[in-house]
Amino acid sequence: MPVSASAIYFLNLRGDVLINRLYRDDVGGNMVDAFRLHIMQTKELGSCPVRQIGGCSFLYMRISNVYIVIVVSTNANVASAFKFVVEAVALFKSYFGGAFDEDAIRNNFVLIYELLDEIMDFGYPQNLSPEMLKLYITQQGVRSPFSSKPKEKIVPNATLQVTGAVGWRREGLVYKKNEVFLDIVESVNLLMSSKGSVLSCDVTGKILMKCFLSGMPDLKLGLNDKIGLEKESQLKSRPAKSGKTIELDDVTFHQCVNLTRFNTEKTVSFVPPDGEFELMKYRITEGVNLPFRVLPTIKELGQARVEVNVKVKSAFGAKMFALGVVIKIPVPKQTAKTSFQVTSGRVKYNAAINCLVWKIRKFPGQTEPTLSAEVELISTISEKKSWTRPPIQMEFQVPMFTASGLRVRFLKVWEKSGYNTVEWVRYITKAGSYEIRC
Amino acid sequence: MPPQPAAQRSASPSQPSGKGEVSDLKAQLRQLAGSRAPGTDDSKRDLFKKVISYMTVGIDVSSVFSEMVMCSATSDIVLKKMCYLYVGNYAKYNPDLALLTINFLQRDCKDEDPMIRGLALRSLCTLRVPNLVEYLVGPLGSGLKDGSSYVRMVASIGVLKLYHISASTCVDADFPALLKHLMLNDPDAQVVANCLSSLQEIWSLEANTSEEASREREALLSKPIIYYLLNKIKEFSEWSQCIVLELVSKYVPPDSSEIFDIMNLLEDRLQHANGAVVLATIKLFLQLTLSMTDVHQQVYERIKAPLLTQVSSGSPEQSFAVLSHLHLLVMRAPMLFSTDYKHFYCQYNEPFYVKKLKLEMLTAVANESNTYEIVTELCEYAANVDIPMARESIRAVGKIALQQYDVNAIVDRLLQFLEMEKDHVTAETLVLVKDLLRKYPQWSHDCIAVVGNISSKNIQEPKAKAALIWMLGEYAQDMQDAPYVLESLIENWEDEYSAEVRLHLLTSVMKCFFRRPPETQQALGAALAAGIADFHQDVHDRALFYYRLLQYDVSVAEGVVNPQKQAVSVFADIHSSEIKDRIFDEFNSLSVVYQKPTYMFTDKEYRGPFAFSEELGNLSIGVEAPETIVSSQIVDANDKDLLLSTSEKEDNKGLSNNGSAYNAPAYDGSLSLTAPQVQSDLLSLDAPLPSHPPHSSLAIDDLLGLGMSVASTPPTPPPPVLKLNAKAVLDPNTFQQKWRQLPVSVSQDASISPQGVAALTNPQSLLRHMQGHFIQCIASGGQSPSFKFFFFAQKSEDSTIFLVECIINSSTSKAHLKIKADDESSSQAFSTLFQSALSNYGMH
Repeated sequence: MPVSASAIYFLNLRGDVLINRLYRDDVGGNMVDAFRLHIMQTKELGSCPVRQIGGCSFLYMRISNVYIVIVVSTNANVASAFKFVVEAVALFKSYFGGAFDEDAIRNNFVLIYELLDEIMDFGYPQNLSPEMLKLYITQQGVRSPFSSKPKEKIVPNATLQVTGAVGWRREGLVYKKNEVFLDIVESVNLLMSSKGSVLSCDVTGKILMKCFLSGMPDLKLGLNDKIGLEKESQLKSRPAKSGKTIELDDVTFHQCVNLTRFNTEKTVSFVPPDGEFELMKYRITEGVNLPFRVLPTIKELGQARVEVNVKVKSAFGAKMFALGVVIKIPVPKQTAKTSFQVTSGRVKYNAAINCLVWKIRKFPGQTEPTLSAEVELISTISEKKSWTRPPIQMEFQVPMFTASGLRVRFLKVWEKSGYNTVEWVRYITKAGSYEIRC
Repeated sequence: MPPQPAAQRSASPSQPSGKGEVSDLKAQLRQLAGSRAPGTDDSKRDLFKKVISYMTVGIDVSSVFSEMVMCSATSDIVLKKMCYLYVGNYAKYNPDLALLTINFLQRDCKDEDPMIRGLALRSLCTLRVPNLVEYLVGPLGSGLKDGSSYVRMVASIGVLKLYHISASTCVDADFPALLKHLMLNDPDAQVVANCLSSLQEIWSLEANTSEEASREREALLSKPIIYYLLNKIKEFSEWSQCIVLELVSKYVPPDSSEIFDIMNLLEDRLQHANGAVVLATIKLFLQLTLSMTDVHQQVYERIKAPLLTQVSSGSPEQSFAVLSHLHLLVMRAPMLFSTDYKHFYCQYNEPFYVKKLKLEMLTAVANESNTYEIVTELCEYAANVDIPMARESIRAVGKIALQQYDVNAIVDRLLQFLEMEKDHVTAETLVLVKDLLRKYPQWSHDCIAVVGNISSKNIQEPKAKAALIWMLGEYAQDMQDAPYVLESLIENWEDEYSAEVRLHLLTSVMKCFFRRPPETQQALGAALAAGIADFHQDVHDRALFYYRLLQYDVSVAEGVVNPQKQAVSVFADIHSSEIKDRIFDEFNSLSVVYQKPTYMFTDKEYRGPFAFSEELGNLSIGVEAPETIVSSQIVDANDKDLLLSTSEKEDNKGLSNNGSAYNAPAYDGSLSLTAPQVQSDLLSLDAPLPSHPPHSSLAIDDLLGLGMSVASTPPTPPPPVLKLNAKAVLDPNTFQQKWRQLPVSVSQDASISPQGVAALTNPQSLLRHMQGHFIQCIASGGQSPSFKFFFFAQKSEDSTIFLVECIINSSTSKAHLKIKADDESSSQAFSTLFQSALSNYGMH
């Protein structure tokens, strides 16, 4: 059995109900009280996102300042339930245009009820594609009192569209200028030991697209991944070009990608949905180019002083630069006074998170700024516990750089009318969980 | 729910103060109901919004029902939707008013706009008023045949809603057959999927009463239907794909080529972005290849990468859901994941529930080649500020140590933990060092040197304290000041709140006494005196028992308290393989997250913290259990710390002797049943026991007050008819111990008569019935349809004891027996006897 949710609740952090939608009668109306009493008001809140109280299971997620709770009375498919919540939130966001929080829900609660009606029926998930729903749920966010009436004309047509063969794209789209935007967004996860050896490291990447194309175009994307290149050279019976090839550990695709063709020809071909979507996701563990190396030396001098020296090396090309670099260096809780010197950027001591926060707005490649700081501690009489050092954490964005080395080789657009398209390709690498133990 | 305060806190769209507001609304709505002025719809919208927001926060606005209905005559679709929502919410409690809405809903069901038709039909089905179902049949019927797929989509789920309101109306209208037709012929994939969901639910509910329905349910798994759905798989939405894949996983292909066809067709599903689809595909692959060992293994290899991708993408909750499944697979086949251990390293900011699963996986995949790195990583966590995390990590290190052959490096690490001087780290480590010593006594020298430096004053946690005390007793000769540490602990006897610690203190001081008598004598006296005066029954009993044992014969006492120990080789597992298989069958559901099969958390009877455990001690002790205190002691000892309960052999022995003293008339006699080596001393038998079976049984029976009847029977005529002792006695501890020691001699299935199944509604009746056949129940547990009993019986000729584990499944009328016996030669005869007794059950 898939989700078959009995009810969905949206609660704020105090536990007030913002939205409740009961799909089935098999759970009582007081279920939300049980959730408040046994989960929200106890320490259990962070302990597990799936909890059983009485005969019901509560699957819950916190998104900004809202809890979304799915209540099921039978054995349900957990993965599907959480995915449903995530998709639903994405859908709401696309309607509100941006933030999903308590205020957005209060301002749009009628719309949410409308959507909840469509996306789930009697506990079974139905259609969650924003593309299709927007055709017949026409209320645009908060509707001003004198705005025009919903376009009723397209409504009957829309229902046919929803369930057409290409469920994610409607026919008859026309754009004056045909444009495709492609973004490769990678996030690097790193766990490095204090001695500088990589404990674990991987890159999760996504390819995001924005298509403004007329008609029913067929797109073909070529990457410098190993399998695709090998297959291509095999098909064209010519030796593979030398140069870097990337081995993708695993790939997942948007439903629009023709998977059979991917499996036989190893090319990514698809009819894109209109507007924004996530074309594919991939994961790489081998041959990751780390954009930054962090070399910390933290010395505890006696009971009351800590000396911190951190050097950060940027390993990407000298012409490139990273933006929004933040390095959080942990210091002991009982820090009294800090003094520091940096060769670049600015440092602040943040007592709330017990960290020195070093910010560098623009960080050029092939440079190595350093921070040296001295931390004085409040000396306590019976402080025998040694300081357990949390890892140094780093945030950054490096445009035009991919940690995996993945590149787009070509992006072909084919449509029967044969129009010209403009393609834009961008790369960016962000920090996922970038931790260096010290 | 307190509606009023909730309402006052609500910020949207105005602040209602209760009744007055609602009646205001009522008046305003009434005013608008008849108005046709321009802009009416907009003011209606505002009012409707207010009503809905009151409804959401829990204020009862059912009193405006008729006004809402009056206002619903509008062409504004948003207004209509709000109205439908309102009606759906309150109709159930206002069945009379609901009748008012039928009219306009029915009219809307015939609207020319398919959108309105669909909405109206959906709302009509959500009224949930039993006496209005007659109005539902018509619109549903035409909805299923509607030209618009949207309406058919709504109608196919609508049938299921109708079924839940009134099953008979739904079946009488022949809707299931219509749904089936639609499922096989509709061009729209969502309609097909909805029909499938509805049919699955209807037929599995109907199957209990109707044979036809259960046939239909089986028919869903027939080859044509499965292939029809599989061929459409790409048309389905991601959610529908989950439903279809789940269905297919129950299908059993007749030959292996078909299995490969299905897997080839679905292989690309593993690349789907939706984790639920990936998990559903994995389940299908695993189920299909269960009987093909090497392909099954290849499937594991194939699914690894997609699973790891799913873990690292998405929110923590999503990766938790996937991790739970990965956890299950890792536990099933740790070998296959041993090279992927780095994926299970924890990030600093991950939630604890994710970290915990990862730790367990790290523990499971540790082998010769990766142990060093894994343990190094775990040691990092042990220094973590987060105390639960640190504890779990230390436990993980300990578990790895217990499952490895080369523990050299690990022991060093554990001992380093003791030097970290953090209370929680020291406490956890002590418990582990104790367990480690029980498995690898050869390490005692290194460990004791470090443990000896720990001041008992710094240890507060009972478990850790008990572990330290155990070591003090066990290694009294190696620890210089053991007697004095024990003495100081005994001085503080009154302040020690944990009975567990006091029990250990008694045993340890006894052990210490046998090794270093002059230094300990005084402490022992003090401990026994304090123990006998203790208010806790177990402590009191144990102290008294030791006292009498010492009084009787010191060398016997030493044999009981301080016998030759063998190292523990394997520690018990929490879950039986049977339960694990069941969870595996329910892959991709809550069962995996909870780590228990469905029936344990959906059946009412199972809910609760100690739902159902395979550990004997946690089962409720049946009518035959002599002492509830004994049972509570077992539960205490078990308390997940299996190590303590399994290992304290000498304690158990002591305790069991003690426990059985209550239910046997002669103290010595019952003692002899459980501790053979003591028995021979007590009865002054020179030769070892087995060579004199008639003699010893005579002595026992005599002591038990059974007279000489057995002994006076003539020499056994072949073939011997198995006779059971009518008054066999065995205490739970001995049972548990024997059950662990003896091999299974007979494992068999038996069937139960329908009358027996009927009688099982009261499981106690089975206990009485078996008692009539001289088979006693020692523990029972479970609820319909799965019951579990532990029985024992004793041969009347000699002291051979038979132990039986009997699992009865009342839905299949089958029982599974596992018989263990002291003397395996007679166990077959006993099995026959047991089965004939079981088959008679319920006959009278």
